[in-house]
Amino acid sequence: MRQEFNDSFKSIRSILIAVFFIYISYESAGFISRNPDEVSELLSSGMTENQVYTAAIALVILIFGFLFTFAISHDIINREIETKTIRLLVTKVSRTEIVLGKFLGVMLFWIATVTLSYGVLGLITKAWFPKDYIHSVVFLFYCVSFVLLLSSLINKTRVSMFAGILLGIAIPIIGLVAEYANKWHWVALKYVLPFHYLQGAAWLVIVPVAIGAVYLVLSILLLKGKDL
Amino acid sequence: MTDIIQVDQLKKSYGSSEVLKGINFTVRQGEVFGIVGHNGAGKSTLIHVLTGITHKSSGGFRIFGQPESGLDAVKKRMGVMPDTSNLYEQMRGVDFLRYMGRLKQKTYSGADYLSLLEQVGLADAEQKRIKSYSFGMRKKISIAQALLGNPELIFLDEPTSGIDPESAIHIRNLVLKLKQQGKTIILTSHNLDELDRICDRVAMISDGVINKLGTPQELKTGKAESMEMLLRTKPVLQESQVRMLSEKLSLDVRYAGLGKDHVLLKVATEEDVPLLARALIEHDFLLYEVKVRERSLEEVFMEK
Repeated sequence: MRQEFNDSFKSIRSILIAVFFIYISYESAGFISRNPDEVSELLSSGMTENQVYTAAIALVILIFGFLFTFAISHDIINREIETKTIRLLVTKVSRTEIVLGKFLGVMLFWIATVTLSYGVLGLITKAWFPKDYIHSVVFLFYCVSFVLLLSSLINKTRVSMFAGILLGIAIPIIGLVAEYANKWHWVALKYVLPFHYLQGAAWLVIVPVAIGAVYLVLSILLLKGKDL
Repeated sequence: MTDIIQVDQLKKSYGSSEVLKGINFTVRQGEVFGIVGHNGAGKSTLIHVLTGITHKSSGGFRIFGQPESGLDAVKKRMGVMPDTSNLYEQMRGVDFLRYMGRLKQKTYSGADYLSLLEQVGLADAEQKRIKSYSFGMRKKISIAQALLGNPELIFLDEPTSGIDPESAIHIRNLVLKLKQQGKTIILTSHNLDELDRICDRVAMISDGVINKLGTPQELKTGKAESMEMLLRTKPVLQESQVRMLSEKLSLDVRYAGLGKDHVLLKVATEEDVPLLARALIEHDFLLYEVKVRERSLEEVFMEK
């Protein structure tokens, strides 16, 4: 876990992504502080204070969350298999520990990034948004679990990178379309993807957490069945 | 002596190709157990199955009394040097060991890692990145990571193949030192001379089955169809004379070759040697040297 977390912060790609998130928070907080009239206007139009303050960072996470988690972690399992370094790991710890360790390492990176982003926002606006923060963490929990499943499912890193880019772009679009479509397959997608659950009652966040946990279990089972 | 490993009718197939076709053996506590075989004979597959890298197809095995399903519980007691594993190229030697050490959930100081690197002969390469390591250095660091956590059972898959003689001697001495410390070691090799020198028992694996198993001495002396005898006489013994003596003594003695000043004969048993020597003296041969040549493991291995 520690190794994954350290590796995440050592890679240029992940540093850029973390900086991008923090920068978005910083800029949106600055905009809010500099433009109290626009904020009042938005509040009077029916938006809550949370929605106004966290709109930018939440939107960035919802749109780019999948793409960025794929960018950082599409090869988190299959690279170890491809380079056969997994043989060193599997002779020391269980396959369950390997999957969970990698998951926790990557998740910790995202929690740190989101915490810093919301921290910057909170420090500048002097307001705290625990519900939105939890929604962002839950959404990224779902993304990381899904990426881990794909990395366990696809053996070649090149294929997982290609699939990651496609899915990273497609999933937010599918999520948006599914939200308003009536066809059964779109409705099914609405309930499988996390977007729908982040808009309703607070307890609904349990659903993407549960789906993410299922993805994690599937990743463990997939790795357990493999000859390495 | 306790059996650390018990393997029973172990089979492994990849698709339609059966690599292990029913392997049986036990490894006792504190012994160095060698596995030898041609490329593709199934040595590495056997190590992979026993160490949890791949799954068996049928049959079973127990390590420290645990079946395959309980292998995770004894991994901390095992050290494994896999054969073709790539290492983490970007890491420095000492960082690689630190990472591997953390997986073993053992706390080491920097001095501990240095001492481990010294043991394998890599003390001066601790700060170098693994990508700059030679093939021999990679083997050594791979052995070092297998020794992390002071394991009771160590698997070494071809630890000396492809490395220079000096490093190979260093590794052989290390294996012997580990044996003195009471470790149980399983190693595979193509070097039969090496196995002869360091192993308590050797299993010869061919086409997915163990066809010979025993101590090097047992393998060299047991079940031999014939043994080779060197004779230095004056005059040098001729092939026709060998045939004549064989008939006269009713022995199965065959002419096997002619040296500069000696002949090589094949005799059926060790008991034939003094009978033959006495007959030669009786036939006025001057006998300068009589030597029974022990078969090498290589010859045993090559025998069908």
